[in-house]
Amino acid sequence: MRYLTRRLGFYLVAFWVSVTLNFMLPRFMPGDPVSRMMARSTNQLSSDQIVQLQRLFGLDDRPLWQQYVSYLDDMIHGRMGVSISRFPTPVVEVIGSQIGWTLLLGGTSLVIAALVGNLLGIVAAWRRGGWIDSFLPPVLIFVGSFPYFWLAMGALWVFGLSLGWFPIRHAFDDGLQPGLSPEFLGSVATHLFLPALTIVLVSIGGWMLGMRNTMIATNSEDYITMAQAKGLRPSRIIFRYAARNAMLPAVTSFGMSLGFVVGGALLTETVFAYPGVGYQLLAAVQGLDYPLMQGLFLIITSAVLVANFLVDIVYVRLDPRVRVS
Amino acid sequence: MTHHPSRGRRPGRALLGVAATVLAGTLAFSGCASGTATTSASTPAADNATALLTIPREDMGTFTRNFNPFSPNAAPMTTQAIHESMLIYNPAAGNTVPWLATEWAASDDNRTLTFTLRDGVQWSDGEPLVADDVAYTFELQKEIMGGFEYLDSVTASDAHTVVFTFSRDYSPALYEIGQMPIVPKHVWEAIEDPAKATNETPVGTGPYTEITNFAAQSFTLGKNPHYWQPDAQHIEGIKMLAFAGNDGANLAAANGDVDWAPQYIPNIERTFISRDPEHRHYWFPPTGSMINFMVNTTKAPFNDVNVRKALSMAIDREQIVSVGMSGYTEPADCTGLSGSYETWKDASLQDSCDWIERDVDAANALLDEAGYPKGADGQRTLPDGSPFTFDFSVGSTSSDWVSVANVISQNLADVGITMTVDAPDWSAVVAGYETGDFDSGIVWSSNDPTPYQYYLNLMSPTKVKPVGEQTHDNYGRFGSADAQALLDQFAATQDEETQHEIVDDLQALYGQELPTIPLFPGPEWGAYNDSRFVGWPTADDPYATLGTRAPTTVLVLTTLEPR
Repeated sequence: MRYLTRRLGFYLVAFWVSVTLNFMLPRFMPGDPVSRMMARSTNQLSSDQIVQLQRLFGLDDRPLWQQYVSYLDDMIHGRMGVSISRFPTPVVEVIGSQIGWTLLLGGTSLVIAALVGNLLGIVAAWRRGGWIDSFLPPVLIFVGSFPYFWLAMGALWVFGLSLGWFPIRHAFDDGLQPGLSPEFLGSVATHLFLPALTIVLVSIGGWMLGMRNTMIATNSEDYITMAQAKGLRPSRIIFRYAARNAMLPAVTSFGMSLGFVVGGALLTETVFAYPGVGYQLLAAVQGLDYPLMQGLFLIITSAVLVANFLVDIVYVRLDPRVRVS
Repeated sequence: MTHHPSRGRRPGRALLGVAATVLAGTLAFSGCASGTATTSASTPAADNATALLTIPREDMGTFTRNFNPFSPNAAPMTTQAIHESMLIYNPAAGNTVPWLATEWAASDDNRTLTFTLRDGVQWSDGEPLVADDVAYTFELQKEIMGGFEYLDSVTASDAHTVVFTFSRDYSPALYEIGQMPIVPKHVWEAIEDPAKATNETPVGTGPYTEITNFAAQSFTLGKNPHYWQPDAQHIEGIKMLAFAGNDGANLAAANGDVDWAPQYIPNIERTFISRDPEHRHYWFPPTGSMINFMVNTTKAPFNDVNVRKALSMAIDREQIVSVGMSGYTEPADCTGLSGSYETWKDASLQDSCDWIERDVDAANALLDEAGYPKGADGQRTLPDGSPFTFDFSVGSTSSDWVSVANVISQNLADVGITMTVDAPDWSAVVAGYETGDFDSGIVWSSNDPTPYQYYLNLMSPTKVKPVGEQTHDNYGRFGSADAQALLDQFAATQDEETQHEIVDDLQALYGQELPTIPLFPGPEWGAYNDSRFVGWPTADDPYATLGTRAPTTVLVLTTLEPR
C-alpha cells in the first residue's frame, strides 16, 4: 500500500508538470488564433472584424500568471471552455463526439495486436526454431517497418478499391442512424476492419518479438526445468510458469500504449477518413485553438498517467517482489 | 463568412505534404487498372432523379452541427444552400446577378443605397421575407462580427425596401452589403446569444434548407418546401462528406463517389480525368486572388522601386507557373490584377510594361545603374557594400508555393542576387508578415467584386502600420498619397465609367511604383463528374465558378439537373 501511495504522489506531480506544460507550450507558439484563422481564410476579414473576433473568442490579454491561475482553476473543475476552431461548440462536446471512435479504433487494434502478438511470441519461444519462430518475426518486422502511410494506402487500394471488400472511408455508411441496430453495428464493424488491420500489422511485430525474447530468457530458468522434471503438462508450464513471469514488460508497454490510444491515430484517420481526435488535435495545433489543445492534452496526459497507475496496481498483483520492496 | 475557395484552402491544402505525394503515386498505379473504376454512366435516369448531389469537404475531419451564418466555422453550405444574399457577384464573368433583391440604386450624393426585395420570397418555415429581416441581419452582423463601420443606419422603409445610409463615401459597399447572407428576424430575435448559437435547424431562403440527416462525417440537405424558385430545385438534395485532408477527398473523386471535387487535385489529368474522360472535367479559371512576391518596402534595398522592378524582370513567371503551380494558372500581366478583375483591366496597359517578361540583361542593367554593383565573384552588393542577399519566407505546408520560391531563388541567382528560402510553419511566417519582421514572402491579396480593397491594401498609406505593430492588411507596408487620392475618388462615385477611369489610373500608378511583385492569379480549383448531374459552369458558360464556398455556389445548385 505504501508503494501505491508513493506512486500516486509521483503521478500527481507528473500531472501538475504536464498540465503546466500544456499551458505554456501553445503560448510560446507565434501568432494568435485569429491571425491563424486569417492565414487560412487569407485576408477575408477586415482589421476591425479581427478585433471583434478576438473579443468574441474571449482571448485573454491579462498577464500570463493570472491566466495560469484561472487556467488551473478551470482544469481542476473540468471547465474546458469553448473551442475556437469549432466556435461556438464547447471543447467537451468536440472531444466527446470523437473520442468514442478513437477509443474503438485504438482499443480494438491495441488489444488484438497485444493479444495475438504475445501469444505468437509465447509459441515462438516455446518451439524455438519452429516455423513460427523462424518465419514470422522477420516478416512481421519487415511489414512493421513499412512507412505506415504506405501500408495503409496499399491496404486501402487493394482491399477497398480493387477488390471492393471493405468500405474506403468513414466509420459507417452515410445515411445510417447511429444506434444499436444490427445494420449499424455491422456497418461499423466493416468500416473498422481495414483501419484496425493496418494498425495491428505495424504493431504486432514488436509485441511478438518482445514476448519471444523475454520468454526465451525465462525458459532457461531453473524453475522451468524443475516444472518439466515434475512432469507438469506443457500448457501449464507455458502459461502458469513461463509466460506469467515473461509478461511483466509486456504489461508495462500495454499500459503505456493504452494511455496513448486517446491521442488518436492521425495517419489512420487521414487515410481512411475515419473520425477521431488525432485530426482534431492537428487542426487545434494549426489553428492555435488553445482551449481545444488544452482539453486534448489534458485527456491524453490523464489517460497516460491513469494507465500507468493501473499498470502499477496490476504489477503488485503479478509480481510479489514489488509488494516487498 | 464568405469563404473564397482557392483562398480558403491555402495552408490547409497540403496538410501532409507526404500524403499528397504518396496518394499521387497510389492513384497513378490504380489508374492503370482503370477497369475497376466505377462509373455510373449507365445509371438509370430514375436513380439520378432521386440522387443526392455529393460533395466532399477536405478540411473537416468531422462536421459540427453549426449552421450559424455569422460563425466563422459554420458547417459547409450554410451561406450557399441555406442562407442567401440580395445579390451575387460572379467573378468568372464579372457580372452581378440580382438574387433576393431585384434592384438597387444609390442616391445622387452617394450616401444612401436602396435595395428593393423580390416579391414572393418565403423563409423555409413559410414566413415571408421582409425588409425588416435585412435590417435586423445587419444589426446582428455589426454586433457579432463588427465591420460595416461606414453604415450609419439600415432601415426598412416598407416591407420590400431597405435603405442603407452611409457616414462616408464608400462605393464598394454595394457588394459588401449585397452579398451578406440574410437571416430571418422572427427566428433570430428569439435566440438569446446569436454569437454562440449553433442554429441546428436553420431557417433560410435558400434552395436546400432542410437537414434530413446529420452524422459526424456526412450530412444531407433536402429541398426547401417554400423556395422562391421551385423550378430551379432540379436535384433532390445535397450530401456533404467529411475528409481529414485532400487525400481522402481525392480518392473519393477518383473513385467516382462524388459529383463535385472542389479541392486541389495533383496531376489532375492522370489521377482524375483519365479514368472517365467523357464525364470528368475540370476548370481552373484564374479568378482567385493575385499571388504576389511581396517585399518589405520598409527595408533597403526593397524601398528602391528600381530594385523591385529588377527583381520582377529577373523572375521567370512561365517557369513559376509550370513548375510551381503544375500549370494550373497563368502568369500575371502588367496590370497586376487577377482574372476576377478582367473587366477592370486597362487593355492598353496589359502588355506594355517592361517589367513583367523575363529579361536578365535589362534586370542586370537596371541594378548596375541603380547602384547595386556586381562583384568579381558575380555577387551583387548593396550601396553600403554588404552583399545583396535576403530571405524568402513561406509556410512549409504549402509545397506548391515552396517550389515557386525555389524557382524565384534560381532565377535571382542569374542576376547575382542570393535569395534563401526559409520555410517554417505558416504561423511563424504570418507572424513575421504581420509585424513587418521579414524580407520577402509569398502573399495573397484581396479579391472583392471591385478592385478598391485590393489597391487599398497594397498602396494606401492609411493601411501602413509601422514595423513592429501588427497589421492584417498591408504586409509590404507600401503607401502612396497619389494612390490614396485616387481611392478616395473611387469611393465617392457610383458611376461605373468614372470608376473604370480611376482604376486605369491606379493600374498605371501600380506599374510605376510596383508596390509588390505580382506572380500569378490564384486558380479557382474545381472539377466535376457529370455522369449523374449536368449543367456545370464551364469556360464557355461561366455563369459561376466551380467553388463550393463561393457566393456563386447557389447559382450552380439551382442550375444542375439530373442526367
